[in-house]
Amino acid sequence: MKTNNKPKITLFYCINAFMESAPVFEGCSIKTIKMACSSMTKDIFLLKAFEAGADAVLVFACPEKQCRYVEGGIRARKRIEWTKHLLDETGIDGRRLAIFNTDIKDPKAAGKIIRETIELINELGPNPAA
Amino acid sequence: MIVGEQKPIKEIMESVAPYKRVLILGCGTCVKTCFAGGEDEVEVLASALRLAFKTKKQRSIEIEELTIERQCENEFIQEAAAGIGRNDVVLSLACGAGVQAMAERFPAAPVLPGVNTTFIGIQDRPGIFSERCSGCGDCGLARFGGICPVTRCSKKLLNGPCGGSQNGKCEVDPSIDCAWHLIIERLTELGQLDNLKTYIPPKNWQTSTSGGPRKLVREDQII
Amino acid sequence: MSNDDMTIKPLSKLHEILLNGEFAVTGECGPPRGANREVIAKKAGLLKGFIDAVNVTDNQTAIVRMSSIAGAVHLIEAGLEPVMQMVVRDRNRIALQSDILGAYSMGIRNILCLSGDHQSFGSQPDALNVFDIDSLNLVRTVKDMRETGKDMSGFELDIAPAMFIGAAANPFADPFEYRVLRLAKKIDAGVDFIQTQCIYNMARFKQWIKMAREEGLTEKVYILGGVTPLKSAGMARYMNNKVAGMDIPDEIIKRMGSVPKEDAIEEGMKICLETIAELKELDGVSGVHIMAIEWEEKVGEIVKRAGLKK
Repeated sequence: MKTNNKPKITLFYCINAFMESAPVFEGCSIKTIKMACSSMTKDIFLLKAFEAGADAVLVFACPEKQCRYVEGGIRARKRIEWTKHLLDETGIDGRRLAIFNTDIKDPKAAGKIIRETIELINELGPNPAA
Repeated sequence: MIVGEQKPIKEIMESVAPYKRVLILGCGTCVKTCFAGGEDEVEVLASALRLAFKTKKQRSIEIEELTIERQCENEFIQEAAAGIGRNDVVLSLACGAGVQAMAERFPAAPVLPGVNTTFIGIQDRPGIFSERCSGCGDCGLARFGGICPVTRCSKKLLNGPCGGSQNGKCEVDPSIDCAWHLIIERLTELGQLDNLKTYIPPKNWQTSTSGGPRKLVREDQII
Repeated sequence: MSNDDMTIKPLSKLHEILLNGEFAVTGECGPPRGANREVIAKKAGLLKGFIDAVNVTDNQTAIVRMSSIAGAVHLIEAGLEPVMQMVVRDRNRIALQSDILGAYSMGIRNILCLSGDHQSFGSQPDALNVFDIDSLNLVRTVKDMRETGKDMSGFELDIAPAMFIGAAANPFADPFEYRVLRLAKKIDAGVDFIQTQCIYNMARFKQWIKMAREEGLTEKVYILGGVTPLKSAGMARYMNNKVAGMDIPDEIIKRMGSVPKEDAIEEGMKICLETIAELKELDGVSGVHIMAIEWEEKVGEIVKRAGLKK
């Protein structure tokens, strides 16, 4: 068990929904993947992040109805739901994966999500497949 | 196309449990189109299985991934030979025909199904598939306006709807369209409603599964 | 039916009554979920003297019950004439024909050919259904046995069953326009009598009968209108929503709800009697089929109050 290590979070984000320079990653070890649209997330990328050791994986999509590609955020959300079910089946726990609609102008909200995710990891423990 | 659905991870884990090295073999034709066993699904299943075996604190599992164009045709099957040689078991994501073709071609290798073959159907719209053909071996679509009552009527009725059809829906489930409602609508549109006055005698099921396993011979193609 | 009637030898008592132009009354008896013949005997006792023939249902709603053949034989022993119902859901053509031969040998003279409720409604939705032939094919089979003395394979039968053949019709199912065409097709296949789905929507029933009359169909087949007395507004609502192919208009449901609870049964009875009174006057209707489901003790009262039997 690597309980002493910082929780590992992998963040997939849409460049229109989040600015990586935002000072929000305190208390965790973060890996970020930036995308032109949240709809570029796919089940395999999310699973690979867990295979690489992430304790939680987050996806930041634009606020609802503000997707530049209209339905990108909707597609992303559906794929996340599907992958959560796969994670439940594998015993990883689907709660370790989540999607949020974030506003690029509101880094505070993003910071809150990160803090809550760290709390969740503390509750669930580290990635059981790591 | 043949429509299928991947089996639950738990069932797949149980079936591959006795083996160390697993070849997950996808099929790039029908099951790819219905998101059950193409290249993408092979990749996801491999990842999910690796995670699952690790999570359950079981021994690690070695997975090789390969997708061939069609598992039901000998000329494509050959491409899998080397991969099969390197592994203890083949987890085939093809339809039942593909799984059996693999098993026949490689009698020494255990071949496991990773997909439940569900029906011959079409994609109504992205993500929704529905059954269209039962392969009964004696197509009567000409008479029914191109809508098959053998497949799409829950009671396989050939002489018209039962008394359970209401608002165009089947008594079995309101999400099922009454095939006879569709047939009547379509024939009305085509001006062929008179087709339905003809009495259809009992169907000959010998051309279907009641005749035993079916075989088709094309003499001109046999060398 | 009309002119030749005088020369036709009746195939059953029910047939004879219809040939004589009497307004026929049939009832219904659901066999027990068990092997207790006393259940049938008890129901027979309640129906005897009030009705001309009793339908014996064939694993209705796809729930396993005593077979309709056995139930029909118990009724014969109790002095009643059965109408054996037979659905194509559970038996292939071999089993159906075999059972028809057996039934006739036991004295069963009326048959009602049905598709059958889908097994997904029943106690065993995981069962394989058969539907080898459809209800029209079954009608034609029984008719051919009677007319040609042969089974479906063309084999000359030793003694061929000569049954009086019935089928169901649902004037309330969709698509409506097609319902009359379907009736014509059943008649062509060889149906002698029709029992309809429960009638609550009299306007629609009249429209259906009118269309059937215009096509000359009421001259070719005896139509028995189906009735079921309602017990409560709740039952009416339930049947309307849950029973496949049932049509109970809002005004009937409202009417059932408009009386105090203790009077609901009487109100249901009144509706039933009004329906029968209208059916008796309706050109093209030859009788009534009373389906008092697990309420056989009510049948005598209906028959008496409707003035149906001598």
